[in-house]
Amino acid sequence: MSVEVRHLTKTFGKFTALNDVSLRVESGELVALLGPSGSGKTTLLRIVAGLEFPDAGTNPASQVLYHDEEVTNLPASQRRAGFAFQHYALFRHLTVFENIAFGLRIRPKATRPDDATIHRRVTELLQLIQLDPLGNRYPSQLSGGQRQRVALARALAVEPKVLLLDEPFGALDAKVRKELRRWLRRLHDDIHITSIFVTHDQEEALEVADRVVVMNEGRIVQVGPPHEVYDQPANAFVFNFLGNVNLFQGRMAGGRVSTGDTEIFVTDESDATDAEAAIYFRPHDVRVTTEPMGQNSIPARIRHANLAGPLVRLELERIDNQGRFEVELNREQWKTLARQPGEQVYVDLQRVRVFAADRTIPVNDFSI
Amino acid sequence: MFTRRRHDVLPGFRLTLGYTLFYLGLIVLLPLSAAFIKTSTLTWEQFWSAVTAPRVLASYRLTFGASLFAATANLIFGLLVAWVLVRYEFWGRSIIDALVDLPFALPTAVAGIALTTIYAPNGWLGAPLAALGIKVAFTPIGVFIALTFIGLPFVVRTVQPVLEDLDAEVEEAAASLGATRWQIFHRIILPLLTPSLLTGFAMAFARALGEYGSVVFISGNLPMKTEITPLLIITKLEQYDYAGATALAVVMLVVSFCLLFTINMLQWWSSRFQRSN
Amino acid sequence: MHAPSPLAHPAKSGSQRRATAEPPWVRRTLIGIALVFLGGFLFIPLAAVFTEALAKGFSAYFAAFSDRVTMASIELTLIAAAIAVPLNLVFGVTAAWAIAKFDFYGKNLLITLIDLPFSVSPVISGLIYVLLFGAQGWFGPWMMDHDLKIIFAIPGIVLATIFVTFPFVARELIPLMQAQGRTEEEAALTLGATGWQTFWRVTVPNIKWGLLYGVILCNARAMGEFGAVSVVSGHIRGRTNTMPLHIEILYNEYNFVAAFAVASLLTLLALVTLGLKTWVQFNAAAEDAPSH
Repeated sequence: MSVEVRHLTKTFGKFTALNDVSLRVESGELVALLGPSGSGKTTLLRIVAGLEFPDAGTNPASQVLYHDEEVTNLPASQRRAGFAFQHYALFRHLTVFENIAFGLRIRPKATRPDDATIHRRVTELLQLIQLDPLGNRYPSQLSGGQRQRVALARALAVEPKVLLLDEPFGALDAKVRKELRRWLRRLHDDIHITSIFVTHDQEEALEVADRVVVMNEGRIVQVGPPHEVYDQPANAFVFNFLGNVNLFQGRMAGGRVSTGDTEIFVTDESDATDAEAAIYFRPHDVRVTTEPMGQNSIPARIRHANLAGPLVRLELERIDNQGRFEVELNREQWKTLARQPGEQVYVDLQRVRVFAADRTIPVNDFSI
Repeated sequence: MFTRRRHDVLPGFRLTLGYTLFYLGLIVLLPLSAAFIKTSTLTWEQFWSAVTAPRVLASYRLTFGASLFAATANLIFGLLVAWVLVRYEFWGRSIIDALVDLPFALPTAVAGIALTTIYAPNGWLGAPLAALGIKVAFTPIGVFIALTFIGLPFVVRTVQPVLEDLDAEVEEAAASLGATRWQIFHRIILPLLTPSLLTGFAMAFARALGEYGSVVFISGNLPMKTEITPLLIITKLEQYDYAGATALAVVMLVVSFCLLFTINMLQWWSSRFQRSN
Repeated sequence: MHAPSPLAHPAKSGSQRRATAEPPWVRRTLIGIALVFLGGFLFIPLAAVFTEALAKGFSAYFAAFSDRVTMASIELTLIAAAIAVPLNLVFGVTAAWAIAKFDFYGKNLLITLIDLPFSVSPVISGLIYVLLFGAQGWFGPWMMDHDLKIIFAIPGIVLATIFVTFPFVARELIPLMQAQGRTEEEAALTLGATGWQTFWRVTVPNIKWGLLYGVILCNARAMGEFGAVSVVSGHIRGRTNTMPLHIEILYNEYNFVAAFAVASLLTLLALVTLGLKTWVQFNAAAEDAPSH
């Protein structure tokens, strides 16, 4: 079933959580809502679920559609949207089995399955989440990862038309997180239910989702498949938010960008002339050499080298303006370079993105 | 008993524990033991006839019956008041919240004369009720009213914090699974409140059993009809029947201690229930 | 860990429409029933005290206090509270220190025993002192020989008051000090403070609101106790009647204005107690809240 929202606006007092947001999720898709806290992603998910309602009387009117039918004013209990909460929200006075059975047991008599059917359905779900021996436990006796799986099974028990997950792995430790998100991906490949999940973790969004929706300050800033939003970020915010990034401030004029004593040729669509520019590049999109490769090479001194892990991370300081930035080399390149902290190297930027400078966007520690 | 499990660096263990035990023994344990020792001067037959005399049995019926009704009324209305105070915003809410504790702070004698005045046949509430044929003051209903008053804060104050801490997500989870508001209340909220409701009920009941000051004014104190057990103890005392009074006191004490034990178990259950998430 | 935005969960009571809220008519009905219940049991009795006290005007109201016997009852009430409250305050702090700062066997039993006076009927609280110190009590003959009088005299009233207010301070402090643990005191000791300095400079500032709250409640109960004091007092006018006992006598003599006038004083005390309690809780909550 497809899910669509049109022109959603939602304010809490003076705070605008959502500002004219429209989005369509196709049937069977797994979509990630990605953004920092306060970006409106959870509010959007809660409005889709019917746990929150968009502001009335906005122009044009806010709408929520399930399968192209309007459900904007339908409360959660009548939408059949499965919802998994960040802190699981399991019923602590009920066993795992009864938690999963809850949605079936509360149906009106006419549509309530008989006990045998409920038992069969819950047992199937327990197998699906690989917790079949734990049906009689109480939530307090489970680990965090197990609780989240029970919460998912409970949402799936009512055969929802859409599965909504709010920071599903947010409260788990790093290792369990990784396992569980692969499990969610496999689960989705098996049952193909339209799913939307909220996360602030770009790695999670890029790994699990079919499509990523990047949000900031109540608006959608970019929608696309993971590789697309990663490789072609729509603006500085998205670039900054997805992965590590370095920023050089500069000026741009006639297709050339200057930063410090260096000029860089830019192939980007930069129509602005003589304006302040923000030059972004990822730590691994560089070449580091002992001699200058050309006029574009930036001389820098190695301040610190972190040799732990598969990549070598260098903290560099520019010779011209003492700006600090970070680059990543593989171990082979580091060996060939044969330089030590304190010595000088030259850095060539391989891929940069230049945006008209926007000082409102947070930049990392290595900015100038 | 009362020996240290491990050595701590903080000073004052012997001094503070010693004084605590000394003061506790002097003020509470020694006098209370007097009641039990005094009773042991009676033979079993004497004791039994003292605590099962018809007038005494009538006072038990009234005391336990009215206490049970009052605690039940407080269970229902206490939940309602706690719910309204926690969930809804309305004018005067914080003042009402503070006033709920009035029965704890108001001397029982003051409560007694105030309730008697308004529920008397010519009182503000007594007159309209009398017109409906309901006599309150000087009947068992009056005893019920007084006991409801003094037990009013217990259920409210045990339920209120639990209700405040209830996770909104749990209710939303139930709603997203298709539960109606009523289903959420009785299948999710009520079970989670049960331990605290029972604790408050037991506390209100225990308090009502021993209550004296607020009841004696409104009850009329007719033997066999509106005489509560604590009043009967005083009556026996005034007749210098110390052994008889003490025998009744021992019965009341044993019941109180059983209730205290029950309340402790309920609180233990309640705290375990709260923590397990 | 990522903290959910507080804005994602607006205040429960906000005007925003919420998925898990009752429809307005249910809300209004429930508030209405609660107010009717509280009206009949709290507000109307409260109003009745002052209405009855002022039924014959202010002059009659103040005349009630010009009575020598009434003044004596107020005096006795103040004396009893002035002795009982400090004694139970010292006990409460001592007991809470022993229980909260040390681990020992029998701790839970001790806590239960401290709570015991709460579950004893006031009448029985008085009776047990009669059994000890009354003319036919254990120490009765000995006291007769030494010309000491406790029952039907002021010492008995003080003892009964101490008994019924015994747990108040302790039960406020014990959970509070248990929750605070002992790391701050241990830190003070490692910095060279003596035990006494640690107590005054570290412990007392941490427990001051709980301490004040316990003392307020203890005082309210001490001044208002009726049943226990009634048993041991002997009701000697102008000598062994506290305010609550004096109210009973005035009421039974149909001197309603005077009875309610004295009652209005105790009611004001109760209202002040509730006000202080709210203020203390507000302060304690403000101190607990993380400062921004």
